[in-house]
Order: sequence, then structure tokens, then C-alpha cells
Amino acid sequence: MFNDSVLNEIEGIKAKYPDRRSALLPSLYIAQREFGWLSHEAMQYVAKTLNLPEAEVRGTSSFYAMFKHQPIGRHLIQLCTNVSCMILGAERLADMLVQKYGLQPNSTSPDGRFSLVIMECIGACGTAPAMLVNTDFHDNLTEKRIEEILEGYK
Amino acid sequence: MITLTINEKDITLEKPVTVLEAARKAGIKIPTLCHHEALKPFGGCRLCIVEVERMPRLQTACTLLAADGMVVKTESDTISKVRRGILEFLLINHPLDCPYCDKAGECELQDLVNKYGPTTGRFKEEKRKVPESHKDQIFTRNMERCVVCTRCVRMCSDVQGASAISIIGRGSHSKMEPFSTESFKCEYCGNCLTVCPVGAILSRLYIHSFRPWQIDKEVETLCSYCGVGCSLVAQVRDDSIKRVIPKIGLGLNKGLLCSRGRFGYEYINSAERLKMPLVRKNGELKESTWSEALSIVAEKMLEIKNTHGGPAIAGLASPRCSNEDNYVFQKFMRLACGTNNIDSISRTGFAAAQKYFEDLLGQGITANIIEGLRNSETILVLGGDPSAINPVLGLAIREAARRGAKITVLGNAKGLERFKTFQVVPSVFKEADVLEALLTEIYNTRGLRNENPALDRGIRTLCEKAAAKSDMQEVRDLRNILLGSASTAVVLGMDLLQRSDGHKALFAVAGLIYLLEARLYLLSEKPNEQGVIDTGCAPDLLPGGRPLGIHEFRRKFEAAWDGVIPEKEGLTLLEIINDASEKRIKALYIMGENPVFNLPDKPFVRGALKSLDFIVVQDIFLTETAELADVVLPALGWTERTGTYTNLERRIQLQHKAVETPSGMEDWKIISEISSKMGYRMNYSDSKDVMAEIAEVSPLYRDLTYQEISKGNCLWPYNGEPLRGEISEAPAAVNITKEYKDDFYLAVEKPLFHSGTLSRRAPALLKIYPEPALKVGMETAKKLELKDGDRVQFFTQYGSKEAFVSTDESIKDNRVYYSNNFKNNGVLHLMSFNMDNVTKAPGLEGCEVRIKKI
Ligand code: SF4
Ligand code: SF4
Ligand code: SF4
Ligand code: FES
Ligand code: FES
Repeated sequence: MFNDSVLNEIEGIKAKYPDRRSALLPSLYIAQREFGWLSHEAMQYVAKTLNLPEAEVRGTSSFYAMFKHQPIGRHLIQLCTNVSCMILGAERLADMLVQKYGLQPNSTSPDGRFSLVIMECIGACGTAPAMLVNTDFHDNLTEKRIEEILEGYK
Repeated sequence: MITLTINEKDITLEKPVTVLEAARKAGIKIPTLCHHEALKPFGGCRLCIVEVERMPRLQTACTLLAADGMVVKTESDTISKVRRGILEFLLINHPLDCPYCDKAGECELQDLVNKYGPTTGRFKEEKRKVPESHKDQIFTRNMERCVVCTRCVRMCSDVQGASAISIIGRGSHSKMEPFSTESFKCEYCGNCLTVCPVGAILSRLYIHSFRPWQIDKEVETLCSYCGVGCSLVAQVRDDSIKRVIPKIGLGLNKGLLCSRGRFGYEYINSAERLKMPLVRKNGELKESTWSEALSIVAEKMLEIKNTHGGPAIAGLASPRCSNEDNYVFQKFMRLACGTNNIDSISRTGFAAAQKYFEDLLGQGITANIIEGLRNSETILVLGGDPSAINPVLGLAIREAARRGAKITVLGNAKGLERFKTFQVVPSVFKEADVLEALLTEIYNTRGLRNENPALDRGIRTLCEKAAAKSDMQEVRDLRNILLGSASTAVVLGMDLLQRSDGHKALFAVAGLIYLLEARLYLLSEKPNEQGVIDTGCAPDLLPGGRPLGIHEFRRKFEAAWDGVIPEKEGLTLLEIINDASEKRIKALYIMGENPVFNLPDKPFVRGALKSLDFIVVQDIFLTETAELADVVLPALGWTERTGTYTNLERRIQLQHKAVETPSGMEDWKIISEISSKMGYRMNYSDSKDVMAEIAEVSPLYRDLTYQEISKGNCLWPYNGEPLRGEISEAPAAVNITKEYKDDFYLAVEKPLFHSGTLSRRAPALLKIYPEPALKVGMETAKKLELKDGDRVQFFTQYGSKEAFVSTDESIKDNRVYYSNNFKNNGVLHLMSFNMDNVTKAPGLEGCEVRIKKI
């Protein structure tokens, strides 16, 4: 369940649009922020909050890769392996995540600390390789830097 | 005026339409896949591409508006090549299992590939795998065959308004799915089934049982379930109905159906159907022959008539039977039996309401077409849920909502939960007070109309009583909505009048309609409630709504019929039951009705029927009432006979025979044989013959023929003149003061998936809704600490019953609902009734209920 301040936030979003369907994507985003991922219950809850059909909510949310429909770790790593990053060693970094943290792409580390998603270009080619941890952006990555960075996410 | 050229043919258009429509009008075929006549243009599949001169790329004909001077080509090498390419892509993931697929032979994808190729695919990778889903009782979903045209989703959300399904995922992984199997908010209309172009959605009612080309014949007919009167097509093979499908564009439903119409037809093949006449011998019903049974009925009825007089006989006509059946029935009652004691179960609702409104506002006041709802600015819904009682009418209300109409609801209406704009929930049994307060508010603002002196007087008297003044903000808000509306429709369900002072609510509604110049729609639970009235199956009316009390009319009919019509008005339904219990009525002839189950206070009704000397029941099943009869006569059912039905808009339509059955006889025929044996000769050769007589004697159906009816659009009054009633005074209201203290009230659920006698023998409907549950609102659930699936016992002063609880967010008051549609599992017997002396409808009493968790 959302707490009052979150409900207010959603009310604020609803007020911005003439059609409550427009508030769906931002509300799903909030639900994911609050619950970590979008379970059936979470989607049902969003549907109810916006008085939208459940099926429509699921259809919309399943279209977007940014919405998670399975539980994920406490922190989400999104690592780019597209051309620039690949040339500068991103694949090695991915291997290292497997070895050191047990983090297979598209899965969660056994301790539930991290989930890893392999991304296409995230627009940081000039300072590749790059990744996002949750919403924080990190570039010029090396194996050592990744270790240091991840220390900050417990 | 727009002129364009398609394939070198000049086409002139009156109004702008898409290139696709323009081409179709001119007889030029453009292939489509995502387009469907019942849906808005979508432009998803690109198969309808055409070349348009001076336009850079190929254009989709289904979304492109025709413009003046356009030059269009619908076939060319480039176009064919692109179409082939699109189809090749669609087949990448398609299982190519046509030999096994039910849709083969009527599959749009198969036909398109047949025409445009490709013959081989170049795709070498694995196809995606999605196991066929059999989780649902009615639909099989095969998502490997889905071409993601979204027709089903658009049908479900844009037309049906259920929004039960959507496209899940993206790209080649997309497929149609419900939200989840546990939470499938499906209304089982099957309209998604109609529009799916491929074999991705299939009906389990007939899966793998025949191929589309093996159908012997298709018969256009009517649904037998409710007063909307939807047209549908029955497909027959080996003299049995294989499936029921709608036809786009056919009938007032324009190709839409509801769950009952589409999936409820199997009762006709039920093993429980009556096959032979039954005659009570030594206390037991035994199979007999037609000649014996008919002679017994004729002799016994004559004997009772001769000893006790005609008025000791009464008859119940049936809103499930055709106009022909009912017409012959009342003629038999009046002339052969010598009684005007003719009524039907409709007196519990529709007939009572209609009489009340017609007496006040004139005959024909409820004759409004359903289509008109779509364009209303405001719709006031009260006394029931239109989407459950008359589902296809409910769709028109939902459509109006989508077009921006204000949907205002008084009380509970589940099907409008996502569509209503305003709702007032009166306390239980205070509906009439709220309506009176609303009328007062409107009267105070707008004043009288001075066109109907009797009604004006009635409104003034009511509204000037201080007691009717309201301090409810909600009522004032509702008043403002109604006063601001240029076109208002009122949709009335029958729950509102089933109170012993139900007429008060009706008066307030009549006042509202009059002051607001609103159109009135009466929800009608049975297919021919209007026809029953129009054919004269009422104690006070002759066919055509002609009052029996007017000597002139009676004489005309006597001349036409060559017989004597008793002068005195007869008894209404509940009066008949009452007089039976007091032994003033000796014989009861029941055609197609089950009063023991369908009236409240079963012990009383049963007792009344048991004290009769003689009961005849005509039906297709051995109902609870038939079990009490002395003679039971098997009638014919839907698709077994031809006849006309008059729907709630007063549209006269034909139900056609589609199959032969060895047993049973048409209702009118049984009656005419008995009548002849009793000395009043009737010899109609067929139902057409009966209609010919109706068209001659009934001023409402003048010159009506089957041929005319087949063309559609025979709306009441057909060629005749309606009779405007003379209103001198509004009936005086009866004041009943009663304080209700109990917290919870039992009410009769009117479910979308059932209607009673027929639906409870329809296997598919029983799968969708297998057993009744006690439906409670969220507040009630909270107060009693109940959750879904809890088992409870509920008590009224007449008895108790156990049931599972099902919570329902749309129930906003402290009513609890239980259905009265299942065999041996009703709820009306837990209530009693007190007749409303003005409308003669039963006021349900004893609904106070206690609920105990077990
Ligand atoms: S049957 Fe009707 S309600 Fe159910 S998914 Fe199909 S269109 Fe929607
Ligand atoms: S299930 Fe049928 S109608 Fe629905 S998207 Fe797939 S192919 Fe189209
Ligand atoms: S709305 Fe009524 S007439 Fe139409 S299909 Fe449903 S039950 Fe039959
Ligand atoms: S390729 Fe990795 S950020 Fe562009
Ligand atoms: S029919 Fe026109 S795009 Fe599908």
C-alpha cells in the first residue's frame, strides 16, 4: 500500500492530465520505486488507485523494459555492452561481475544485493565503458573502479 | 461532395470516409487484417496498403481519408510484394497448424496467405513457443497463432468496455492475455471471439467438433434471453445447433452479443427437456399421449367453467413465449374459458411499471430506441444494473459514457462502475424519498410544464409538502446535472418498484421524466414482456392496449372474434394467487412460467397452487411449478418454432425455426386444440396465420406481416395509432411507514450470466457462474469481518441458507445479494411479499437478514 505522501504524489500527477490514463506511466514508476518491482498486486493496486482496468495496466507496464516484473536485488546495475563500451572492455567487466559477485546478466546475486541488466547504448560513448547503478551514473569504468563503486551500495 | 478514382473507377462520396470504405462501397476489395467494421480504424497490420498518386509512400487505406481528386491503386506489383513481405513476417512465429485449427476455412490469415503468398518462408530460427491455454472454461487461447492485430483488445475495451484483456509484452513476444487467470474480469460476451481473425481465441463449446464448411444451414433468428432482442445466427448441422454467432450489421445489436445470447443456447439440447405430456394419476405425474392429455384439460376446464363460472379460471401468459402464443392464450382465456383473469410474471416489474407510466404519461411513453441512448447527454440509471439485466443495452450506456455523457446512478450498478460520473446511494428502502427530494429540487428550480394537468397537480402537491425537501448536497448536485442536460434518458430497473409503496418511486420518476422531458427505458428481463401486454395478456387490456372497460373496444373484438368477452376486468398475478389460496380460483392455466420459484414467499404460492382443483402447465422443462400440475404439456423451445417478439423498445422481430424436434408442440397450437375441444373453435394453420389475425384486429400491429418484419425496423405502433390514455388524476399514494432497523437486507441478485429456468440448464453459463454466492459490499464485509470464500449462514424470518461469501466493491449499501436463478437454490422463498395496491407488483418484505460466519 502507498502511504499518504505517495498517494498525494499520485494525486498531483493525476491533476496534471485531463485523462487519468496519462498518469499511468508515472504511477507505475512510483510503484516500482516504492515496492522495488511490479508484482501483480502492485499493478492491481495502481489500477485501483487510478480507476483503470487491470489488464490495461499490465499491458502497458509489460511493454517497457524499465519496469521489472520479477523481484530484483536491492540495487540495479545496468551495464552497457554496446559498441563503444564493448571496444573498451565492457564484456570483461561483465565477466568480472559474474566471478566476483555471482551476478549473471538478467539475474540477481545470491545475496540479493545486486541485479544486473545488460543495456544497449546509454549515451556515454565518449567516456565508455559506462553503467547505471539505480539512478546513479558511472563512467570510465575499470574492474577496480567497479569494485570501489559497488562498495557504496550495500 | 468528394470525387476520387480507385482502380480507374470514379467514385463520388456524400461525406468523407476512409479510402477503404470508399473502395468497399464501390465493390473494390482491399485486404485487411487489423481492420474490423465494428471497431475504429487502427492502422496496425499494413496489409491494406494502396498506392496514391502524388503521395510519397504506400498508404494504409483503412486510416486514410478519401480526398477530392485522389487517384488510388489497390493492386500492383509493388503492393503485392509488400503484402507478401508482411505476411511472411506474420508467419515467422506462426505454428502453421491449420489442419488442426478450428478456424481453418474461415481464417482471414489463411485466406490472405492463400492470395498473396508466400509459399515458403526464409526464416530458419526457432519459432517462439507459447503453450495453448485451457485455463478458462469457455475460451481456449492459442497465442502462437495470434497476429497481434489487437482486434480483440479493442473490442473488449472500446466496445464491450470490460477491458479484461490486453497485449502483453513487446515485439515478437507480444501476445494477448487477461490480467491473470485468477483475476479475469471477463464478461464472457465472446465479442473478442467474433473479431479474432485467426484461431487464437476459440470457443470450448464446440472446439474440434466440426469444420466451418460442414454447417448445413444458417438461420438468422433472435436471442431468447432478454428484452433487448438481439439478432443472431444459429448454425445447424444434423438438426442440432452447432454454434451461435452474431452477424456484423445484423439487428439492433449490430453484431454484439452477451454471454447468455452467445453461450446460453445449449439448454435446448438438455436431457431434462419434456418429451411427452404428463398427466397426474393416483397422485403421480405419468407420461401420457397428446390426445388423452388434451381431452383431460378440455373436459376439466369445461367442468370448472360450468360449475363455478369463468371467473373461477385464471391464466398466466408468458414473456418467454411469442406474440402469437400470447395472443392465442388470451383469446382462449376470454372466449373459451370466459375469464379476464389473465396476467403474467411481468406484473412483478415491467408490466406494472409500464401500466403506471402509461396511465400517467400516455401510451407509448416507454417506446424509445436503444440506439438513442448513445447520443444522450445525461443518463440516469436506477433500480438495477443495465449491463447485467439487458447487457447489450448496457453497451449503449457505456458508449454514451465514452462519448462524454454524464452517467448518473442511483443505487448500485456494477456494470457501470468505471463509467459512471455521479452516484447517489440512498439508504436501503429510502430510494423513493431521495427521488421525491430530487423531484422537489427540480420543481423548485424549473416549475411545472403545464401540459398534463393531472401530473402537474400531483407534482405540486407532492413537492409542496415540506417533508419532501432535501438537505442532501448530493441531490442538489444531481439536480444540477439533470437541469444542465439538453437530452436526458432515464433507465429504470424493476428493483425500484418491488416495495409495497413502490408506486411512490414510480411517481417521482414519472415526474422527473415529465419535467425534464426525458426519455424512459424500462429494463426487461424476459424477451417478450412488451408483447405480452400488446397481445392483451392483461386483466384490463385487450390486444393493442385497448382498455377492456371501454364498451366500444370490447364490442369490436367480440365482432372480430365471434365470441363473448367477459365484461368485468380480471385479476392481476398476485390477486390470482391470493384468490387461489382462498379457493375462489379453481383452475389455473400456466404457459411457460414458474411462479413457485419466481415469486417470493414460496410456501404461500405453493400452498395457493396446491389448493386449486386443476393446474395445467405448458413448458419445456419440468419446473417447480410443473411438478404441482395435473397436466403438463411439452412445448417447443427456441429455434424449434417461428414467432414474433416485441422488445423493450417495442420493435417487433421474428424468431425463426432452425431445427426439427420430434416432441413438443407450439404453445399456440396446444391452446388452440384445447380451445376447439372446449367449443370455441380455433384453426390456425401456422404462426403466420395467427399473426395475420393479430394484424387485422390489433390496432397496434395493423397490416403487419412476417415479410415486413423480416426487413427489420418494425417499430411500434406499426401502421396503427397508439392510444393516448385519458388521465384525470394521478393515483393517490399509499403511505406506509415502517422503520427498518436491521443492518443488512437481502436482495435478489440479477447476474449477467443467468436468467433462471433456461440458463440453469445451459452448461456453458453454469461453467461461468456455477453456484450462487452471497455478494456483500466492502463495508458489510468489514463490519462482519468477512472475506471472499468464507462460509456463512444467513437468516431471514422465513428461513436460512448457507453460502460462500463473495465481496463486491460495487455494492455500496448494506444490501447483500443472492441469486434466484439456480435449481433448488433460490432466495425468494426467504422473503415474503406485500402487494403494492397501486401497481399490483409484489413489495418484497422480510428482507432483514442476519449473517453468521460458520
Ligand atoms: S469475452 Fe468479452 S469481456 Fe471477455 S475478453 Fe472477450 S471481449 Fe472481453
Ligand atoms: S488474439 Fe486474435 S484478435 Fe487478439 S490480437 Fe491475437 S489475432 Fe488479433
Ligand atoms: S442482451 Fe439480451 S437479447 Fe441480447 S444477447 Fe444478451 S440476453 Fe440476448
Ligand atoms: S555504447 Fe555504451 S554508452 Fe554508448
Ligand atoms: S487493415 Fe489497415 S492497417 Fe491493418
